[in-house]
Amino acid sequence: MKLTAWRWLLTALLSLCACASASAARQPVPFALDPYPSTYRPAPRTDTLIVNATILDGAGARIDNGELLIRDGRIVALGQGLDRNGVIVIDAKGRWVTPGIIDVHSHNGTYSMPQTELDVVASDVSEISDPNVADTWIEHAVNAQDAAFSAALRSGVTTLQVLPGSTPIFAGRSVVLKPIRASDVQAMKFPGARQGLKMSCGENAKSYFSEKDRAPNSRQGEIAIVREAFLRAQEYRDGWRDYEKGKRKEPPQRDLKLDTLAAVLDGDIQVHMHCYRAGDMSVMLDVAKEFGFHIAAFHHAAEAYKIAPQLKAAGTCAAVWSDWWGFKMEILDAIRANAAMLEAAGDCVMMHSDSPVVGQRLNIEAAKAAAAGRRVGLDVPPQRLIRWVTSTPAKVLGLGERIGTLAPGFNADVVIWSASPFSIYGKADQVFIDGALVYDRAAPNQDTLADFELGRPEAGEHP
Amino acid sequence: MIRLRGAVSVSVLLAGAGFLACLAAGRAAAETTAIVNATAWTLTSDAPVRDATIVITDGRIVSVASAGAAPPGAHVMDAAGKPVTPGLMQAATQLGLVEVSAATETVDSSAKSGVPGPAFDVQYAVNANSAMVQLARADGLTRALTHPTGSGVVPFAGQGVLLHLFESGDIVERPGTGVFVTIGGRSAKASVGSRAAQWQMLRAALDTAKSNLAATATATNRPAETLALQPVLAGKTPLAIATERASDLRQAAKLARDYGIRIVIVGGAEAWMVAQDLAAAKVAVIVDPFANLPASFDAIGARLDNAALLRRAGVTVALHLSSVQTYNAGSSLREGAGLAVANGLPYVEGLRSIMSAPARIWGVADRQGTLEPGKDGDLVIWDGDPLEPSTLVTAVLIQGRPVSLVTHQTALRDRYLPMIKAIAAENSK
Repeated sequence: MKLTAWRWLLTALLSLCACASASAARQPVPFALDPYPSTYRPAPRTDTLIVNATILDGAGARIDNGELLIRDGRIVALGQGLDRNGVIVIDAKGRWVTPGIIDVHSHNGTYSMPQTELDVVASDVSEISDPNVADTWIEHAVNAQDAAFSAALRSGVTTLQVLPGSTPIFAGRSVVLKPIRASDVQAMKFPGARQGLKMSCGENAKSYFSEKDRAPNSRQGEIAIVREAFLRAQEYRDGWRDYEKGKRKEPPQRDLKLDTLAAVLDGDIQVHMHCYRAGDMSVMLDVAKEFGFHIAAFHHAAEAYKIAPQLKAAGTCAAVWSDWWGFKMEILDAIRANAAMLEAAGDCVMMHSDSPVVGQRLNIEAAKAAAAGRRVGLDVPPQRLIRWVTSTPAKVLGLGERIGTLAPGFNADVVIWSASPFSIYGKADQVFIDGALVYDRAAPNQDTLADFELGRPEAGEHP
Repeated sequence: MIRLRGAVSVSVLLAGAGFLACLAAGRAAAETTAIVNATAWTLTSDAPVRDATIVITDGRIVSVASAGAAPPGAHVMDAAGKPVTPGLMQAATQLGLVEVSAATETVDSSAKSGVPGPAFDVQYAVNANSAMVQLARADGLTRALTHPTGSGVVPFAGQGVLLHLFESGDIVERPGTGVFVTIGGRSAKASVGSRAAQWQMLRAALDTAKSNLAATATATNRPAETLALQPVLAGKTPLAIATERASDLRQAAKLARDYGIRIVIVGGAEAWMVAQDLAAAKVAVIVDPFANLPASFDAIGARLDNAALLRRAGVTVALHLSSVQTYNAGSSLREGAGLAVANGLPYVEGLRSIMSAPARIWGVADRQGTLEPGKDGDLVIWDGDPLEPSTLVTAVLIQGRPVSLVTHQTALRDRYLPMIKAIAAENSK
């Protein structure tokens, strides 16, 4: 954490210097510019008071028989006996209230529904023509009409990060979305959310590219590619800095891949690294140290429990499944108690999906992972467990002060559950995003269906 | 021989190192185990037997009675009021055939060529020592129907094998259980180009086998395909068709009527649309309870209440998991049943869909699926609702003997746990 704070300060100072010294005529540093800004607008909303609920605030607190007040799309208060002036009152007796579920690892909108031969030949999950496609932005592929988004919304997901797939080492920029019905991805983009860079280590890249008779064909080859790329990115960034300071006349030749990596070096783009093995993760932590960037989270992180101290020291989180294992060599040592052991060691841990099916039940993933901890005396009570799918993923997305917690000033992304969200019988009864009721199980309507599903005899109401 | 007397908690029993050893020593002698204080889901009725005593002698259940006494000399296990159910059964899986799916030399579930389609027999490949089998057993799975997924001869995948998941020795219980075919979706495009051709080829294969059997009633040189299809045509074992789309499910029902054979559907994402037709043709469906997305053009109608709608129409419903069927064959099965119950399947039907229904479909209901006299003493003691994913297994018994709950995963956990607990203790200072 210390290192992170120091880097933050340094980054802030650097950007301050850059702003102060850049002459007005010169181009700004282009690394993290977003020419495709969010056009998201919250749906019409009403001020709402939820009463008689079991509230898990997402940050570790539980309020029994509690009330939650939402005004103007924001959380105003939690507690009892709150102001009922001008609000719609929802009686949540016997029901549970949590922040909206946040999935940091989704391929929705790019893993097409339905899958066809076209996706086998040319999938939008990732561009796989090169091990470094850091110039690709997954938002350019996201199909806003994907049925997986509406399924996620109906199950209480209010924010998700769509990442490119893990075949390339540098797989491209991620995008943070709200799974609302929209005609284009810009209207789903979380305003102001930072992008991530998806990277991968281990089996995928070397297996795929070796079949194409290309590098990398080994783990060490992958690391060499990573180091080479960051060397170039350092030169590129320094070139731009020199240009800004007037030390050179012409700006460096614009390079879209290096833009992404330079933004990583500046801390403006978060690194989300697909990594399973303890050894692979440890090496990547050292590479990050070598080049001065921070890895926000290892995704899949099957063996994180083996290196809990190293991860904590680096301030790097683990995003994990509850019980996936055994389907490839680097996941043979995945264990169900992984998350509970990391929690016990004081590490940052969260659930992720990587799947439109699991992505509908991250709360159940958490419940399963907690049960594996209970088996060995590592109990995680519901009010702490909910963090794994709310405030912790919010933090890793850089949105920890806006979503993931029910506290005054936070966005009113709220789910009312029919029962405990950690029970298989619990369902998202009502889902609010920015205070707007975007799904109501008691009044299902065509609005929650994807465009693809409309008017088809097979598709229809979903229970 | 040492006998444990009196009611002690299951955890104490399992902790006693002598217990398993004593069980292992005495297979020859008559031995009796009594599980007392159980909430026993016998599945012979819709409600559990409270405060039940389940008595197992020589591997078979001899009685299930409310407040019954444990026979003298029995090993007694106290369920502490918790649910006790029959062992889980996977109705369609590749358990024992697939170890690491990405390491192809550990995958024996399909043949490229060289075998006569319906006769492809994976009994020769079953690996009892699979870590997948070990975990599934520790998760409460006691039987499974494992089957091939491709034979190289369209549309046949080959013959299923009934497994009984003993801890040691052979787990193959009955080969030649079901003949599997795959129809529709990408399987058609990847092979003969059209699902119509797949149906025609299936019918032609059945016709050929039929005429071979009729023409030479005592022939000794019948083709392997004919011999493999003989029990299907005789109604002794089902034809299992992996298919999803409503139109294909109608074809399956029609096939059952035309040939007078038993058909089981594996998948059946759109089966709810033709539920009456399937019920009338007595076609059972092995449903993937997680399927609710239009993942393919064959499954546009996938929905979470598929199992509930089918059961309501009188269709026999069992469950399997299409994506995680080998590596979490036990735990995902009950999570799926919980999901089906959450979406309208009556609770007891949820239990049946992963315990007794698969046993009925695969002709092993005389041994598996209910707690009643004569059945194998295959059962699970749970620490809560077995359909809640957060519930843990307390004990798994196969033919009356507790099996080890140690797996590759628990061994790894226990190696690293002291480090974690030391850090936790340091943190809390």
